[in-house]
Amino acid sequence: MRYEHITDAIGDTPLVRVDPEVHGLRHIDLYAKLEMLNPFGSVKDRAAWRMAQPHLADAARHGRTVVELSSGNTAKALAVIAGMHGLPFRSVTNRMKVPEIKDLLLLLGAEIEELPGQAECLDPTATEDPLTRIHRMLTEDDGRYLHTDQYYNPANAEAHASGTGPEIIKDLGGTAPDWFVACVGTAGSSTGTARALRAHDPATRVVGLVARKGDFVPGIRDTDEVHEVGLFDPETYDTLESVSADEAIDGMLTLVRRCGILGGPTGGAAYFGAVRHLRERDAELAAAGDGRRGTAVFIVCDRVESYMSYVRQRRPELLRRPPRPNSPATLTPRELAAVHVIGVEEARAWIATERPVVVDLRGTFAFAALHIEGSVNIVDELFEELLHGGLPFGRSQPVLLVCPVGEQSVTYAALLTRMGHRNVRSLAGGVIAWRDAGAPMVRD
Amino acid sequence: MSEPLHLAPRLEPRLAALLDSPAFLHPLVTALGSPLNLVLPDQIADNVRGFRDVYARHRLTGRVLFAHKANRSSALVRRLAATGPDAAVGIDVASLGELRHALGAGLTPDRIVATGPKDPDYLWLAARTGVTVAVDSPAELTALAALVERFGLPRVPVLPRLSGFTAPGTRVLTRRSRFGTPADDAGTLLDLVEKHRDGVEFTGVSYHLDTMALAEKAAALEGCLRVLDEARRRGLRPRAVDVGGGFGVDYLADGAQWERYTTELTRALLGRRAPLTWEGHGYGLRAENGTLRGSLGVYPAHRPVSGARYLDELLAQTAPSLGRPLATLLLENLYDLHTEPGRALTDQCGLTLARVLEVRVTEAGERLVRLAANARDIGLEDHGLLLDPVLVPGAPGGPGRDGPPVGAYLLGNLCLESDLISRRLVFLEHEPHPGDLLAFANTAGYFMDFTADHALHQPIARKVAVYRDGDGGAWNWCLDEQYWPHLTAGDDE
Repeated sequence: MRYEHITDAIGDTPLVRVDPEVHGLRHIDLYAKLEMLNPFGSVKDRAAWRMAQPHLADAARHGRTVVELSSGNTAKALAVIAGMHGLPFRSVTNRMKVPEIKDLLLLLGAEIEELPGQAECLDPTATEDPLTRIHRMLTEDDGRYLHTDQYYNPANAEAHASGTGPEIIKDLGGTAPDWFVACVGTAGSSTGTARALRAHDPATRVVGLVARKGDFVPGIRDTDEVHEVGLFDPETYDTLESVSADEAIDGMLTLVRRCGILGGPTGGAAYFGAVRHLRERDAELAAAGDGRRGTAVFIVCDRVESYMSYVRQRRPELLRRPPRPNSPATLTPRELAAVHVIGVEEARAWIATERPVVVDLRGTFAFAALHIEGSVNIVDELFEELLHGGLPFGRSQPVLLVCPVGEQSVTYAALLTRMGHRNVRSLAGGVIAWRDAGAPMVRD
Repeated sequence: MSEPLHLAPRLEPRLAALLDSPAFLHPLVTALGSPLNLVLPDQIADNVRGFRDVYARHRLTGRVLFAHKANRSSALVRRLAATGPDAAVGIDVASLGELRHALGAGLTPDRIVATGPKDPDYLWLAARTGVTVAVDSPAELTALAALVERFGLPRVPVLPRLSGFTAPGTRVLTRRSRFGTPADDAGTLLDLVEKHRDGVEFTGVSYHLDTMALAEKAAALEGCLRVLDEARRRGLRPRAVDVGGGFGVDYLADGAQWERYTTELTRALLGRRAPLTWEGHGYGLRAENGTLRGSLGVYPAHRPVSGARYLDELLAQTAPSLGRPLATLLLENLYDLHTEPGRALTDQCGLTLARVLEVRVTEAGERLVRLAANARDIGLEDHGLLLDPVLVPGAPGGPGRDGPPVGAYLLGNLCLESDLISRRLVFLEHEPHPGDLLAFANTAGYFMDFTADHALHQPIARKVAVYRDGDGGAWNWCLDEQYWPHLTAGDDE
């Protein structure tokens, strides 16, 4: 397919049937709307383009900055769109919880402003929250900013009322699904799509998914936060159900491991919430026994790759690695107790007579500030990495290991000994003991 | 009324035992009047231990400095003065009065850091006694050095306060502070330190950020390390970073209650359930066309990561550009860590008692409970702390004693429309009666005497120190100013 502009590739995403073997619903056909295949990577491409496009030429003429309150996909799409049109983009956020996205936004040339944490000493005279204040600043000062305003801008929902919804109807052979399941973030995709589906068939039921209170699922508001969204109207949804971060990851695992759909946790939450909601409906259809089948559609919002740290934080076991050789964690108390530990006086004498390699395991910043003269700096994490590969010194080369308080140096001395090194010692009490004994330290 | 939405206070054993002693509490209020503040000096010594454990886990040394402004009590400060050298406890004072109080309580100058806005008298006594001065600006450093020279005083240790840190990558819109020297101007400050070498001894730097966000504090701590490195490059010998306070307290026993309550409050403000606050007060939230605007400006009363645990998490943060854990950086750069917990150190250290004067039910069915105390005596509203008081019944019997929990608005004793002790509908275990006491638990940090005054000639609460011999012994009390540590049989170590 040939396009003149990358933005022409927004929309017309595939609707893919999920294998019943995977979801286990026998009377309902479940389809995934793959919004992750939009060119900038998410469902937000539609809204971002729809909100920004009519104002771009004007903004370029007046040198305006595109501004949005977003910590994720909307910011990403707007950063790209702004960049393509030579406009600066600024994202203001208090929800930047996924480091990969933050880095990606910086890479795309976005400027990110993060709101401060809540004050410990409450000032009751400060009646306005920073978000509202910024909101007001943007709307009042529209000479300098193009504020796309995704939480209140009707164009956000329209992008889906004219795009996502009709596409689903077309791909289902001109019928609306019986159920439409969507996560509620700005409420744009669920509101807009629901509007189009219901216009076609008022019987379509809409399931809105929010994050369980206090739990974080990217791109979704929680049970309370959803009320802070201007586009959110409880009447849109036949039911609002909550999904936990754990359930979102479970759903994501099914999508990526069983369905070949590399969706992120938001899509995982939608899949999980859809199957959970539909299980009872499936049982009702089975009980009716009239052979009638149902159809359901959920949205896969974006891709999995940006959420590795999210998974690592919540489910580290999913990213398991095989145990590595020469790992400090495998040392026994007996090995640690056998380490040759020497005090500051003895160490100074040993350095003077045998000239051991003195290895300082502290960070480079600390080493550069003050260290034992003639020592070599190999930062602990690098040293550990080196040892996974083998001994970095000859077996009989004398080595004195030094760390802040003499704990890590004992560990690594024990490890070197286990690996066959014959002359390694650890400085008792570390650099702190060295300093407290008044022994000389230098700075280069 | 629908199901009661309790927000029950978290009570550790010592405070719980005290609340469970009505025969001890009632005569105290009879003798000393309502309201009455009680402090538990032995608890503050226990709290220090929680912080010391975190220091030990990270192999760090340095002082835990009590931020005195959290409570004016003599008993608490004197009890801290009596802790042993291993506890390395000191005090952070922020006025001339607090400095005098700390010195008089037995804290020696090496254990005192003078912070806050300083007038000439305060600065002079700080200089004369040789306490460490957290100088706020280059001008203050110059003034201090001038005092030292003019009176021929010994060198005064200084720990300049920095602010306005920046982190790499994204810009954090950190709240502007009226205190401290901008980190970008640290060079000027160090020039002055070098110039006045004979008058001041540069011991390190400090910061205090009014935020709960760990990332902002991590950026500040890293900023301090960079300034100290520059100081070392100039041949100065800094030894410490003071990370200030703001460790917070977990006020509630049950996080689920907090979740439920805040959800219901949202619904109430949107008009989807019966009101939960006086006259629809929203604590910063308001409904506009069915959408909630503003933000909930209350203390997050359920904070599992608070106090010593918060310090632990801060130390585990990775420095944004140096890329190593903050605890490791402090340790390997050979710096002491000073902390200034106020609220966190007074956690579970006291309660406020107030007598019920009147119980009245309005035509709309609201229950109003009027107390012999006002909103300045119990500063819950000032800090947005949403919490139920504990009912300590007086005489047994009376209607509703065995009845269900009841919701009530708490009115104060001032002739003032706004004098509500809580705008939140609080829930009591059962119907209260005149003569009962309401106990506001855990008020020793900021809620006890910070705003109390003599408006309308109403009395200010007296303060008593309570202590017991051993764990199960009888409760003893004395007026706060009569307390000295030798009264307590208990030993720290």
